[in-house]
Amino acid sequence: MATKKKNTTGARLTRTTLLHIGLSLIALLMILPFTWMILTSLKLLEEVEFDSWLPTIFQWRNYPDVFRMRGIEFGRWYWNSIFVAAWVTFLQVFTSSLAAFSFSRLEWKGRDRVFFMYLSTMMLPGLVMMIPNYQNMIRLGLVNSYLGLIIPSAFSAFGTFLMRQFMMNIPKSLDEAAEIDGASKWQLYWEIILPLARPAMITLTIFTFIGNYNSMFWPLVMMKSPDKYTLPIGMLAFQSSQGQQTNLLMAAVAMSVLPMIIIFILMQKQLVKGIMLGGVKG
Amino acid sequence: MKSNQRQLKNVCTGMAFLLPNLLGFLAFTMLPLVMSIYMAFTDWNLEMHNYFRAEPIRFVGLRNFAQLFADPDFGRYLGNTFFLMIGIPFGVAASLGSAILLSLEFRGTRRFWGLSILTALMLGGCVILTLAGMGATAMTMLMASLFGSVFFIGSIGGRTVYRTLFYFPHFTSGVATFILWKKLYAPENGPINNALRPLFSALTPVAESLLPFADGIATVLLGLMMALYVVMVFRKMRRWEDGECGHVSAVLGMVVLSTPPVLSMLWVDAPWVRVAMPVLLAVGWLWFAWHIFGMKRIYNCVLDYKIGDSTIVDGVAMVASFALIGLANVVWNLPELVGQPEGLPLPKWIADYYWAKPSIIFMGFWAAVGSNNMLLYLAGLSGVPQDLYEAADIDGASRWQRFWHVTWPQLANVTFFIMVMAIIGGIQGGFEMARVMTNGGPAGSTTTLSYYIYTQGFATGRLGYASAVAWLLFLLMFVVTMFNWKFGNRYTNE
Repeated sequence: MATKKKNTTGARLTRTTLLHIGLSLIALLMILPFTWMILTSLKLLEEVEFDSWLPTIFQWRNYPDVFRMRGIEFGRWYWNSIFVAAWVTFLQVFTSSLAAFSFSRLEWKGRDRVFFMYLSTMMLPGLVMMIPNYQNMIRLGLVNSYLGLIIPSAFSAFGTFLMRQFMMNIPKSLDEAAEIDGASKWQLYWEIILPLARPAMITLTIFTFIGNYNSMFWPLVMMKSPDKYTLPIGMLAFQSSQGQQTNLLMAAVAMSVLPMIIIFILMQKQLVKGIMLGGVKG
Repeated sequence: MKSNQRQLKNVCTGMAFLLPNLLGFLAFTMLPLVMSIYMAFTDWNLEMHNYFRAEPIRFVGLRNFAQLFADPDFGRYLGNTFFLMIGIPFGVAASLGSAILLSLEFRGTRRFWGLSILTALMLGGCVILTLAGMGATAMTMLMASLFGSVFFIGSIGGRTVYRTLFYFPHFTSGVATFILWKKLYAPENGPINNALRPLFSALTPVAESLLPFADGIATVLLGLMMALYVVMVFRKMRRWEDGECGHVSAVLGMVVLSTPPVLSMLWVDAPWVRVAMPVLLAVGWLWFAWHIFGMKRIYNCVLDYKIGDSTIVDGVAMVASFALIGLANVVWNLPELVGQPEGLPLPKWIADYYWAKPSIIFMGFWAAVGSNNMLLYLAGLSGVPQDLYEAADIDGASRWQRFWHVTWPQLANVTFFIMVMAIIGGIQGGFEMARVMTNGGPAGSTTTLSYYIYTQGFATGRLGYASAVAWLLFLLMFVVTMFNWKFGNRYTNE
């Protein structure tokens, strides 16, 4: 009873305010590094090491300056990153959905055995495959080419798994209805199942795009010439060659984080749902 | 005959849809897999096998693995990998905490919308004006207004705003944020050290006054660690007696609990530790063995009952013990630190051999507070039946009891899943931080297994050896996953 009585207007207001203060403090800790990043990117180089985070005059020209730096092909890297990530995402979603359709909607002998093979490789650390993959790429002459970056990432056991789990939950009666109407398997896939599997596709699209945009290992070993770098590798090169120019480096960091922030804000709802979809099931 | 034809047709259609993916799968997963197994048993080394020197690649059996275990560096890097995983329980606990905060009732917000906005604005304005009047620096005002605006937006947008802000670090984490943190950690005039400098100079006299007691304090800290061990062993036996944990879980827990005392013999310089710890361990294990073999249980249970739960609790105790050992070591080194003319030296973070790993752990913690784990916990919390809380209220449970007896057991399967995934990730982790921030240094203190594989396989070209390391890493992950399969299901279904 005692707890019930406390729920007066004033007590509730105090409690809510305290909760907001606590949450704001944590949120503040989360965004402080980003605040420093933005403010430093607007400073003069001489001011960077000052105690105060605020620039005396906001140097907005630092941002265009990043694109003009010698030896730093920032625009090019930006484009490369988005180009590669877009292709990988498109191919991966397409091949995964095809395979998932086969694994979930078609009956064929040995289907589950093949699927189990897929599943069991999901546990392997990617590092195991990297070394032989790289040797194969050398033999195929694909080192330092976009193709060599895109093709190995275009097929994913995880994507297939995610899509299959979703497609399993679409009612079977749709297939039968389509068959009675004389639809071919391709029509069933393209016109019925794929539109219904859109939530899973969107989830996979976000995950793949962000994962690829951020990926570092494979581009690092594959791309040798600076004009082929993706952003993570480019940022690494920027840091090691002109890292002392903290203000410009921070401007570059801010710009490279920007697409992710935009995607995140636009896609937040789907993303949160998708994490539940892929996560809880395990 | 007809059914056979039909079957063939079915297989053909199925394969036709699968083909694009299957081809890629065979070429980029299965083939490398087989090659990698083969490579792990050969002496394939790019220094011997290249365009200019084409010696035949020889099959060397288990020599790579033998070399691996003989290599003292490998042991160190394995240790580094595990050391960096100490951050996992902290990160998981923090994400649980933030999920609980976010799931608390915000009912008041909407009702007092106008009021809270007004309060925030007025308070914010007053604070800034007062600060300006007091002649505060621009920095203080910046912080105050930043906090004010977060508070303001938060009280309008509620849960979604906070969730978004919490999730930011995790979502953007990558090369860009690692570069950012490298700058934050800059030892000379980085923002973190700039902020800490006044604090450290204020602490210098305190540290100096502590100097005479340094030995005593360190001893007390180690004593606390030993007490924790005793308490945990005692708790373990109690639970065993009550049928709350099986034999396997009990022994595994003992092993986990015994790691800090064993390692403290290596890490701590004080001579008495080398006597006290073996005694402590012997007493603990003998007591435990005597208890288990000589006593009758009140309630019986299966061998591996509650293995997940008790391992998590013991793991947390282990991490706490490590923290105590670390603190004790710091206090022991206090005389050297204070002896310098400029007072307590600021940490050099990632540029310092001893600070590098804690720095990386802290950065990981920052990204882990609002990670996927927080979202999973949020989903888990919304699935806890409300009548359980009502029942707890009727029984007069305190907030703390409500958490331990309702929330925590209800979230057990989520926690277990998160821990397993985090451990698997931790075993493979550390490559990007090492490559971007430290290059594995200083003196190899942040080189993890994945970074070691990278340097061996791609920089040095010892393909065979690197493959062997990669397979050993797989073996570690396999053990964790097996543990999960064997015990996770039973545990989560209870």
